[in-house]
Amino acid sequence: MSTAASVTAELTGTGVRRFTRRATARRADTSWLTLGGDLLSALTTAGVVVAVLGGAFSALRERIAARPPAPATDLPGELTALVAALVVAAAVVALLSRLGPLSATPAAAAWWLPLPADRRGLLRGDLRRVGAVAVVAAVVVALPVVLAAPAAPTLLEVVVTVLAAALLALLAVGVLVLLQARSLTGWVAPAAGSLATVAVVVPAVLGTVGAGGSGWTWVPAAPDLPLPVLAGVPLLLAAGALLAADRVSGRVPAGALRDRGTAVLVASVSALSLDTRELGRALGTPVHPPRRARRWARVHTPWQAVVAGDLAVTTRSPWRWGQLAIGTALPVLAARTDGLGGVPALVAVAVVLGWSLAAVALGEPSRQAHGAPAADRSLPLGARDVVRARALVPLAGLVVVCAVSAGLVGLGWEWAALGAATAPAWAGAAVRGGYRPELDWSGPVLSSPVGAVPVTVVFTLLRGPDLGILGSVPLVIGLLLGVVPPLLLGVALGWSVLLGLVAVETAQRRRS
Amino acid sequence: MMAKPGLLEVRDLSVGYGGEPVCAPVSVGVAPGTALGVIGPNGAGKSTVLQTVVGLLPPIAGTVQFDGRPVDEREAAFRRDVATVLDDDAFFPSLTGTEHLLLTARGHGVADADEVVDAEVAEFGLAERAHALPSALSSGQRRRLALAAAFVRPARLLVLDEPERRLDAQMRRRLAARVAAEVAGGLTVVFASHDPEFLSTVARRVLVVDDDACTVVSPKDAVAALHAG
Repeated sequence: MSTAASVTAELTGTGVRRFTRRATARRADTSWLTLGGDLLSALTTAGVVVAVLGGAFSALRERIAARPPAPATDLPGELTALVAALVVAAAVVALLSRLGPLSATPAAAAWWLPLPADRRGLLRGDLRRVGAVAVVAAVVVALPVVLAAPAAPTLLEVVVTVLAAALLALLAVGVLVLLQARSLTGWVAPAAGSLATVAVVVPAVLGTVGAGGSGWTWVPAAPDLPLPVLAGVPLLLAAGALLAADRVSGRVPAGALRDRGTAVLVASVSALSLDTRELGRALGTPVHPPRRARRWARVHTPWQAVVAGDLAVTTRSPWRWGQLAIGTALPVLAARTDGLGGVPALVAVAVVLGWSLAAVALGEPSRQAHGAPAADRSLPLGARDVVRARALVPLAGLVVVCAVSAGLVGLGWEWAALGAATAPAWAGAAVRGGYRPELDWSGPVLSSPVGAVPVTVVFTLLRGPDLGILGSVPLVIGLLLGVVPPLLLGVALGWSVLLGLVAVETAQRRRS
Repeated sequence: MMAKPGLLEVRDLSVGYGGEPVCAPVSVGVAPGTALGVIGPNGAGKSTVLQTVVGLLPPIAGTVQFDGRPVDEREAAFRRDVATVLDDDAFFPSLTGTEHLLLTARGHGVADADEVVDAEVAEFGLAERAHALPSALSSGQRRRLALAAAFVRPARLLVLDEPERRLDAQMRRRLAARVAAEVAGGLTVVFASHDPEFLSTVARRVLVVDDDACTVVSPKDAVAALHAG
């Protein structure tokens, strides 16, 4: 059929969606009873999670309040709660911009987008889905933050905060779609990453500079406005942004929708199969080729080639610097926060989180090498030697991160030395995590709320950070003692080097 | 005699990714009811040229006009007139082959959609598998399904990226004959191909995509170039 076709009314975007939905529903074996059961199960799970979280955070808040104030903890808890909310919000915004927010699955890109149907109608379902996901994310972020607030919140305050977070999430979706329609989302993820970095690093630095001295005076608080204004303004802004987003969604180019849809598909499959390595690749910001290719004139040996390549991979993405800065500053922020700083276990959790983030950033060359083993095989080096060489860049990076971070947590050179002594274990963790094997789906599986998962899932996903956490045990002992005895320093170094060697020697290079 | 105005006019078009061109700039016009072949070695930029021509990739420089207006795939009028079969191999997993074709036909407002779809299903040798889900089709059958979708709807311009890919020899010949017949009936076609027989059956002119220069040659010269490798 070419130009002389007999044509009547074309399907609208809504009509196309309806046609597809009805055709799909005809062979779906999901009954209303099943859907109702699933919904009930999801609501019950959510209720249990809220109750458990609420109880845990209330208990934590009471325990912190009962402790005497610790020295050098000048940052108010409200500020750190705000920082946590900002960091998670930045991550969600970066994620939304990476995945769309609007996208078309490969099938929709191939069969829907070429139709003359209005694109606005075609994408309205996706806009609703993204909005719902953003609201859920906002509730999940806001609930723990408000429940852990130093001043015990009332039920009304909890509801208003969660509602405001949900409305702000919808506002963010609307604004991102407006940017997407103008192909202007490229700067969003870098800006969100920069904001998260500044939000963590600046309070940590200021809290450390003023530690024990003049102290921090500003305490963030909700604006003193009547409730209708507090809830009404975000509501109006969110509604306006979503209406505007709906209006411009027809201007989003098909190429962008297709690219984002492919990223969503890969990320979804990776998440469902618990392949966090592939998930990271799907969600990672694309790295642009350098303006000037490196010639590596000073590289003369295979060991140098591995190190030079790893340095290039590590430094080519600006976000890695952000990860290292956040990883360094996070334990410092916890140590300087009133309440948190007085609980060594919570500072230790911040240490593990921060240094894990740094190890993940410095483990990128190992992850890439695991994904494309051919380049390593072309080197005249044995498999074990390649992995050993690959530990050098993470070791150098983590010596700096751990020494600076621990030194600022404990405010002393002995703490910096203890941090540096812990670095070999975390460097080993970076390499071990990068080379960790895929999940074994051929073995026994467990039933879980997200479906069947292999019984070995925890061991596989923790492969890498596990040895880093073990290597941090002397540091945790130091935090509990409040001092760093010379013996502890020696034990920490020996223990960390041993774990680092175990991590590197047991890292498995893929055969094919 | 005045030259026939081109339905598709490409001027100094530079294509690529991240601002980096993948081939030399392209300038070519395609008159209504004619077919332009596109050849070049693997990685030369043929698919990138085609995707840019249909508005799926933004041009680095230059212009593409369809029917005297700049190409904008976001315009319903453009999508109404231009059918594409590129390198997509994506299908709705829960829609049968027939349902995919009906979606396309009804989406374009084809009055007798069922009859048109049945005819194309038979034409593309899918009669026995048309009610199967895509996961139950072979790679070649899925390719036939994607190609059939281009013919169940009205179009003024058909853009095909290596249509012969994954087809058996008999189906290749039938497809070439079908496309040639559509061109004779007034359809304008732009297609990339590595198949000399397809090229010589369908194309009136051939664009050779290369790093140094993109030139337009006769099908005879293009076939000779393909045979020469």
